[in-house]
Amino acid sequence: MPGDRADHSREYVEVEALKAGTHSAWKELLALHGPALLNYAIRMLGDRGAAEEILQDSLVNIYHTIDRFEGRCSIKSWLFRAVHNSAIDEIRRRKRYVNVSQEALDSYFNEAGHWINDCPGWDGLAAKQMDEKRLLKTIQDKIDQLPHVHREVLLLKEVEGLTTTEICAALEISPGNLRIRIHRARAALRAAAVEG
Amino acid sequence: MVYLKCRDVVDKISEIIDGQASMMTRMRFHSHLMMCNNCRRYFKQFKRVKEISGKVTADDLRADFDHVMGFVMKEIDKKDV
Repeated sequence: MPGDRADHSREYVEVEALKAGTHSAWKELLALHGPALLNYAIRMLGDRGAAEEILQDSLVNIYHTIDRFEGRCSIKSWLFRAVHNSAIDEIRRRKRYVNVSQEALDSYFNEAGHWINDCPGWDGLAAKQMDEKRLLKTIQDKIDQLPHVHREVLLLKEVEGLTTTEICAALEISPGNLRIRIHRARAALRAAAVEG
Repeated sequence: MVYLKCRDVVDKISEIIDGQASMMTRMRFHSHLMMCNNCRRYFKQFKRVKEISGKVTADDLRADFDHVMGFVMKEIDKKDV
């Protein structure tokens, strides 16, 4: 598509300026993606100070290794991948493994694949009337407790609004894997919001 | 037309709401919902939770990012010197 071509050639020019170490190009890049990267790091680590620290280190590292960027994915995906990898290293270092059991969907259904009992939780009308702030708080808390493989896809897709292609490139996963992870993450949020 | 079981419907919700399901799957899915109160309820809950989770934005982080940016730009400028 012509729009895509324009985006690609603009990005090519930007990347060349970044590789040349142009101050204004770096400033523009950081201003554009920095706040979203910081948000992602905070949500992944649950700790603002640590998030700022890993973001600083990742960005300095990105600056020093920009020559290795080959344009196989967008610069945005590359930035998210770098921050993501640093966040995962930090999570592993802290051994902050949160083991939250997934929604026990199997227990809802009989062998024929039909509901055993009524679907638990509020109905559509009650859902609309439910206090949005309370629901938002419940969901926010649950996101913080999700295992990182589910939390990361949810944050990138629902909160940061990355496309499927961008997320797959950032996390180095397949679209099929992304689909499964995002569905499980949403199902876990539904269970927390509705039944919790 | 092959009808979907309730379990299949629940598994396909993300594909449906993300617009990734085929036309045939969408038809089977929605015809099932017309007949099944439980799946309809689950679907509405799921959609509502997805909608709300998109609102879990951070506070405005631009100001917080400023000092990260300051640090990084200082590192970049060091190399120029």
